[in-house]
Amino acid sequence: MAEVSLRHIEKVYPNTEKKKKGEKKSNLKVTEEGVLAVQDFNLDIKDREFVVLVGPSGCGKSTTLRMVAGLEEITRGELYIDGKLMNDAAPKDRDIAMVFQSYALYPHMTVRGNMEYPLKLKKMPKEEMNQRVEQAAEILGITQYLDRKPKALSGGQRQRVAIGRAIVREPKVLLMDEPLSNLDAKLRNQMRAEIIKLRERIDTTFIYVTHDQTEAMTLGDRIVIMKDGVIQQVGTPQEVFDHPANLFVAGFIGVPQMNFYDAELIRDGSGSYTVQVENVHIVPSEEKQARLRQNGVESQSITLGVRPEHITLLGEGENMLHGAVEVTEMMGSAVHLHVNFGGRDTIIIAQTMSLEGRNPVHFGGGNPISFTFGGNVIHMFSKKDERNLEA
Amino acid sequence: MKEKTRRINRLWSVVMFFVSVLYMYPIFMVLMNSLKVESAISTSTAFELPTAETFAGFANYENAINAQGFLSSFFYTAFITITSVLAILFFCSMFAWYITRVETKVTKALYLLCAFSMVVPFQMVMFTLSSMADTLNLDTPWVLWVIYLGFGAGLAVFMFCGFMRSVPVDIEEASMIDGSSPLQTYFHIVIPLLRPTMVSVAILEAMWIWNDYLLPTLILDINKYRTISMLIQFFRGSYGRVEMGPMMACIMLAILPIIIVYLVGQKHIIKGVVAGAVKG
Repeated sequence: MAEVSLRHIEKVYPNTEKKKKGEKKSNLKVTEEGVLAVQDFNLDIKDREFVVLVGPSGCGKSTTLRMVAGLEEITRGELYIDGKLMNDAAPKDRDIAMVFQSYALYPHMTVRGNMEYPLKLKKMPKEEMNQRVEQAAEILGITQYLDRKPKALSGGQRQRVAIGRAIVREPKVLLMDEPLSNLDAKLRNQMRAEIIKLRERIDTTFIYVTHDQTEAMTLGDRIVIMKDGVIQQVGTPQEVFDHPANLFVAGFIGVPQMNFYDAELIRDGSGSYTVQVENVHIVPSEEKQARLRQNGVESQSITLGVRPEHITLLGEGENMLHGAVEVTEMMGSAVHLHVNFGGRDTIIIAQTMSLEGRNPVHFGGGNPISFTFGGNVIHMFSKKDERNLEA
Repeated sequence: MKEKTRRINRLWSVVMFFVSVLYMYPIFMVLMNSLKVESAISTSTAFELPTAETFAGFANYENAINAQGFLSSFFYTAFITITSVLAILFFCSMFAWYITRVETKVTKALYLLCAFSMVVPFQMVMFTLSSMADTLNLDTPWVLWVIYLGFGAGLAVFMFCGFMRSVPVDIEEASMIDGSSPLQTYFHIVIPLLRPTMVSVAILEAMWIWNDYLLPTLILDINKYRTISMLIQFFRGSYGRVEMGPMMACIMLAILPIIIVYLVGQKHIIKGVVAGAVKG
């Protein structure tokens, strides 16, 4: 267990093709020096904290993790593990362990051999080595597979072995690079729960990389959301869900994703704000009004965000938005309605069960529908720079 | 459709059977003649099977082994083959590992150089090579592996690189994080992974080095050191007389070890050649 500090970390890959300065490829910034895969990454990870780096493919999350591991050179900035500068330390000298997406087990060794390997390199006495391997195998439920080769194991079992190999060393920091990506949906959910349990049982700092926001939300003490090599927001799962820093985070976190509408934010003479969508006026909650006032936000065109679960379906009435159901997705406990509203797809979650019993939810394709949302659940984003106007 | 495929396969089997007979027949002929008495081996009788009168048993084999320093030639050939193959396996696998994992202009150029070396015929370099080997005192069986390493590197590096590219780099990175130095990663992880390719490279190179005639003839001091291939031409008496029986027996003895090596390792050759061609 250890604290990990990343200070102004940057990763530049030298240009391999002739590109002009300022030209963009995959939205990553390109300078004369090369492609900026990670830009000015600052993060202090506390002892025993579980931090999840999340973002779409190519956002620099794995590169950041590999820089912590020592598998990628750090172009600029400083990396501290347990207070020691580690920029130039070899991976083996960092006291870290890593679980790879591809498991990266040694195919010629048995499960026991795989788990013993790091301990053998440490020249650990045989007895202690056996004890540690058996203890880790027991935690992960792979004791019966210790004498098998990796090829004789299923994907989930292999991933357990990979985790086992990492934890037997009792590393200061455990790095996980999309460890569940190769597993099917059911096994992924199961392994996610296993990782949560594991976390309670071992004393170490976790840095976990994933592109799956559900994994990030369920596992992390804090989530670091990245895009194009830049940190978009750092916060607890609840914070990033409730107060997304910008349009990207709002769209990335939450399933189904947040609905966005073009709207007008109007500030009247008394300093009160109203949001106008189509002909409907929504008054933000007092809390939101206060934040907007504090930030000195003026009247402007905005992107309004509302999460599908915060939309209320109502019958005909005033101050309602009207659309037509295009597609319905039955999820069992709820129905996801894809509604065409103003030419855009709006997703609404309609619960099929309530305390009173089964809700009569019958929506066919093309049915007209009216919905609304409260002023306390809306998110307002600047059209200019996409940041949250409340932030 | 299936019936048509089956018919085509059957036709191919027949064609390939005749091709294999064509390949096997010279060996069979040598074997047949090695068991005949000297007088029964002539141009007109070379294709005949031994009869009760012409069958010589293992007499020719005894003569071959006892005469002309067969055992020392066998030892030199084995020594040169083993040392050269070991050197090729060790240096080329390590080199291929490096140039596959560290991609720079230099390593790419080195790879192309190795691939290019495969198309340079030996005859083009043999005179400069033999004079250079003379200057550097490489003209003994003890150090001939240096020259074979140079000539065998092209194919070996090419094959090792092909396989290394199919091995996920994650495995080596995992080993480095587990605490290995690059050398430990090479010996503990890379070599075991390369084993199928190593076996195929070893067999292919061993077949070539064991049977090679021209290179040792040009480099070695012919009066002191003779490999088996060189020895065979010494089964000639005066006035151009050739001891055909012992010569045939010697050829059979010379090819026997390499046939055994091939048969033992043939499944690895197929594995090694196919490895890297498909994602798996």
